[in-house]
Amino acid sequence: MTALLASRAAFLVAVVLLGLGLFVLIDDPNLLKKILGLNVFQTGIFLVYVAAAVRAGGRSPLVVEGGGPYVNPLPHVLILTAIVVGVSVTALAAALVARIHAERATVRADELRDGAGEVRDRE
Amino acid sequence: MSEVLPWLVVAPVVPLASLPILAFRFDRVGWPVAAITATVHTALATWTAWTVAVDGPTRFVVGGLPARLGIELAADALSASFLLLVSLVGLWVLAYTRRGGPRSNLSYALYLALLAGLSGLCITRDVFNLYVFLEISGLAGYALVALGDGRDAAPAALRYLLVGTVGASLYLLGIGYLYVATGTLNMSAMAAELVAVGHDGRLVVAAFAFVTVGLGVKMALFPVHTWKPDAYRAAPAGIAALLAALVSTVAGYAFLRLLLSVFTATLFGVNPLLGASLRAAAVLSVGAGAVLAVRQRDVRRMLAYSSVSQFGVAVAGFALATPLGLAGGVVHLLGHAVMKSGAFAAVGVVEAATGARTVDEFAGLATDVPVTSGALAALSFGLVGIPPLVGFFGKWYIVLSAVRSGAWIVAAAVLASTLLSLSYFGRLVQRLYLESGSRPADTRYGAVSAGMVATAVVAALVALGLGLASAELVELLRPSLSGVGP
Amino acid sequence: MSTSSLVPVLLVGVPLSAVVPIGLSRARPNLREAWTFLASVSVLGLAVQATTTVLDGEVVEVGLGHVVTGVPFALRIDAFGALFALLAAVLWLVASVYSVGYVRELDERHQTRYFAAFAASIATTMGVALAANLLTLFVFYELLTLATYPLVTHYETATARRSGRTYLAYTLTGGVAILAGIALVYAVTGSVDFSPGGVGGLAADPTLATVGYALLVVGFGVKAALVPLHGWLPGAMVAPTPVSGLLHAVAVVKSGVFGLARVVLFVFGVDALRSLGLAAPLALAAAATMLIAGVLALRQDKLKRGLAYSTVSQLSYIVLGIALLSPTAAFGALLHLVAHAFMKITLFFCAGVVYVETHVEYVSRMDGLWRRLPGTMVAFAVGSAGLVGLPAIAGFVSKWYLVLGALEADAAPFAAVFLLAGLLKLLYFWPVLSTAAGGGDALDGFSPIAATGGGDREAAHDGGQADGWERRTPTTEATWLLLGPLLVTAGGAVVLGVVPDATPFWDLARAVVAEVFRSG
Repeated sequence: MTALLASRAAFLVAVVLLGLGLFVLIDDPNLLKKILGLNVFQTGIFLVYVAAAVRAGGRSPLVVEGGGPYVNPLPHVLILTAIVVGVSVTALAAALVARIHAERATVRADELRDGAGEVRDRE
Repeated sequence: MSEVLPWLVVAPVVPLASLPILAFRFDRVGWPVAAITATVHTALATWTAWTVAVDGPTRFVVGGLPARLGIELAADALSASFLLLVSLVGLWVLAYTRRGGPRSNLSYALYLALLAGLSGLCITRDVFNLYVFLEISGLAGYALVALGDGRDAAPAALRYLLVGTVGASLYLLGIGYLYVATGTLNMSAMAAELVAVGHDGRLVVAAFAFVTVGLGVKMALFPVHTWKPDAYRAAPAGIAALLAALVSTVAGYAFLRLLLSVFTATLFGVNPLLGASLRAAAVLSVGAGAVLAVRQRDVRRMLAYSSVSQFGVAVAGFALATPLGLAGGVVHLLGHAVMKSGAFAAVGVVEAATGARTVDEFAGLATDVPVTSGALAALSFGLVGIPPLVGFFGKWYIVLSAVRSGAWIVAAAVLASTLLSLSYFGRLVQRLYLESGSRPADTRYGAVSAGMVATAVVAALVALGLGLASAELVELLRPSLSGVGP
Repeated sequence: MSTSSLVPVLLVGVPLSAVVPIGLSRARPNLREAWTFLASVSVLGLAVQATTTVLDGEVVEVGLGHVVTGVPFALRIDAFGALFALLAAVLWLVASVYSVGYVRELDERHQTRYFAAFAASIATTMGVALAANLLTLFVFYELLTLATYPLVTHYETATARRSGRTYLAYTLTGGVAILAGIALVYAVTGSVDFSPGGVGGLAADPTLATVGYALLVVGFGVKAALVPLHGWLPGAMVAPTPVSGLLHAVAVVKSGVFGLARVVLFVFGVDALRSLGLAAPLALAAAATMLIAGVLALRQDKLKRGLAYSTVSQLSYIVLGIALLSPTAAFGALLHLVAHAFMKITLFFCAGVVYVETHVEYVSRMDGLWRRLPGTMVAFAVGSAGLVGLPAIAGFVSKWYLVLGALEADAAPFAAVFLLAGLLKLLYFWPVLSTAAGGGDALDGFSPIAATGGGDREAAHDGGQADGWERRTPTTEATWLLLGPLLVTAGGAVVLGVVPDATPFWDLARAVVAEVFRSG
């Protein structure tokens, strides 16, 4: 019962993280914060998976004689993969922000829109 | 012979891994390596398609595990046609980039990663594996956009990355729900479980919604299309030709695959509202994309918005959930990919030869680049939907299916899309041929290689060939689409 | 594949493949025109061959794969197709001769593009004529639009561009309506093949069938220039005159009428239309078009625009003849399809000669032109008399059957409309001819006769005062490349008026009527 409640709570936290991440991602003009928002958003999803793997009274799935029940290991494996993907995405995003900063001398989306660093040398 | 399937993914990965090493010794090793790989890949894809056409669908489970546990790869006529599209477009885009760039080793490494990711998307039958391939191709795509040398390239790539990753994450969330509901990640096992659990559960409906929105972002349906125009504007022309043809198209395939092999038409039968919403979204995309395209001055942005509209047409076909509607959607997706790729290549040639970027600047350029202009005009009318280019035929099946199922709004929207696209493509062609430009005569631009022009011309010819053979294509696709229902 | 089944393929393929050598012979005009003549003579030979085959009672059909699943891409030579193909083939040859004279006299730009697009237009017209089902027809019909677009916009002026845009907007919108109509008909019946008397099965869903019919009529009505869908045609007169002559009096507009007739007679069929009661609205629209366009023509001063409105009106003679659903009226309509082609192309050719020789484009400035261009104006008189419906010229015969058919169908008001429209024609053409016949130097008493020798064109062009025309004979009035074709077509109109039953068109029209009204 407590486990169930715990998992419910976990889903609730996940929803909060999803909302928070998406809000920052959309609303904050700072590109770095947008990336952070994206990370929070993804973490929310990871949490959904991990919480779904929980079984009442489950233990970590190191199989020993008469050891069950175990939590479902598969979502953990999936999320490990997803985290790797997430890290790559974050790295690429950070590299892009670094380039934007080098070229345009700003990391704010609103200033980019207003043409910051635009030397207007095209043609 | 099903052992060929994993090689479709592995074949690009091996040279990809060796490229950084080779790059130490050779400056310009990227293109030859990519060309050899793409040729081998095309051979593998052709072999797969041939096998499927002759012997029927083929499958392979990685590691020899039972399909329910291992990762299942499979190819039927549907997968095979998208696989062929990926390798052929990959091949002819190389003809463009050899001279038209980008030419760095890094860009070809990304190209190979994209090829691997897209091939994987076409053949995997594991929903999580599909996510991984989606992100591999996504990452390659984001980075490829950033290769553009303008100041807008990095912001466009970052925007593409942010939006695209949210899309992929929503997809991940969706399949998480599906996993909770069914306890498996294998598509056919999922479909079987769904029959047992019922298609009307909240989990299933939510899963479909998340998957649709997630892949909708990748397909760039309105209103989650915002990454597309900037990305296609900022990317190097050859890359735009590659991405415009493949990335969204294969996402469209992935959506269709899930609809076909996981959800099935039962989903729409049990939840009519879902089907109706999808149709509404598609129709909205058709209209909004066209209206936005009309308003563009920049040619590449216009083409990007046109894609928003055209994907609406294809998804409308899918949303009908009849074999005929699906076939129409598939023909439309494939045809659009070929033609849009050619159109971007042609626009790239014009940009390279004359520096023109806006519709107005294209005025009178037909005399400067006659062959390319001819190809661009043909492709434009093909995209509008004038037979015998392939653009017409997908629409025919969708309209016919819509009429038969009484989906009048879908039929009207698809027909209207012809007129809407005429309004912006007609303008482009007219400028190109009938108006004289005021281009400064002293500007000298880089030469254009035969390969660059050939890319556009080949695309036009393939679009014609696909159009003439569309009925046969539909017959070949039919068995793999009949699972959907009536 | 037997030799006879090659004929329909070649009829489309020969002019289509002529586009390539024409395009490649850019630098050598004589060679380029040789290709055009080679193609048009071969096409005429093929069309005659096709006509003979059909009149022997044989129908040739050849399938080339599928357009879409369930609908073959097929060409077929039946009587109606042969009639249209033969007409287009004869007039293409004549128009080719005329074109050469016209573009060379005026030293036009883009001559290669002109001849290439012309050949492509003929190829697609042949495809329309020989299509064995509605979808195949549609494919060629759309291509015809694209092939003629460069001809409409030939001069690349602002007006030409605007007209080209209007043309594309009208015809491709019409194309979408046709497509929708085809989809509806196909969804109801499962077939869009042409079969005399209709495909049948339309009663399964009368509502859808009616909507489909309306869409098809509206769609084809654009090229057939039914009022209010005719807006593109007068604007398209900005094209070079041979284009107006062959395409906007024969090939393009008649492909609209042809498509309409195919829908009425070969897809829906006489019986189905009678039971659905769908013919009357079409007949009313056609009758209204005849009168409205006839009146609008009276207000045109520009000769070619006037002729365009006359075309709008005359096309509806044909449409009305078909919509009356009576064998005699249909026979008259088919004859009028041919007769109008010969007469109207003559008139356009005359307008072209007038322009080439004198640069006059307006009726009000044609005063006394008869002296300068006697042969041309005689041909003009023949053509216009035929359109009015005077005996011994083609138009009389066809209108005779049209009126007879209207009476036979108990539609006396429509018979009256035919006569009234003829009267409007008289009102339009009489002033043109009387102006041309008037004393040239009398208009402006003290103006000198400026036009002398070869310099007359410039003189007439520059000075509005130069209203007096030098008197010339038919042998010197214009180059034979221009005069020959128009005398041939005028002669054709007379032959069709005097001995209509000696021409293959008569037999073909009879065969069509026999086929279509077999059951009724």
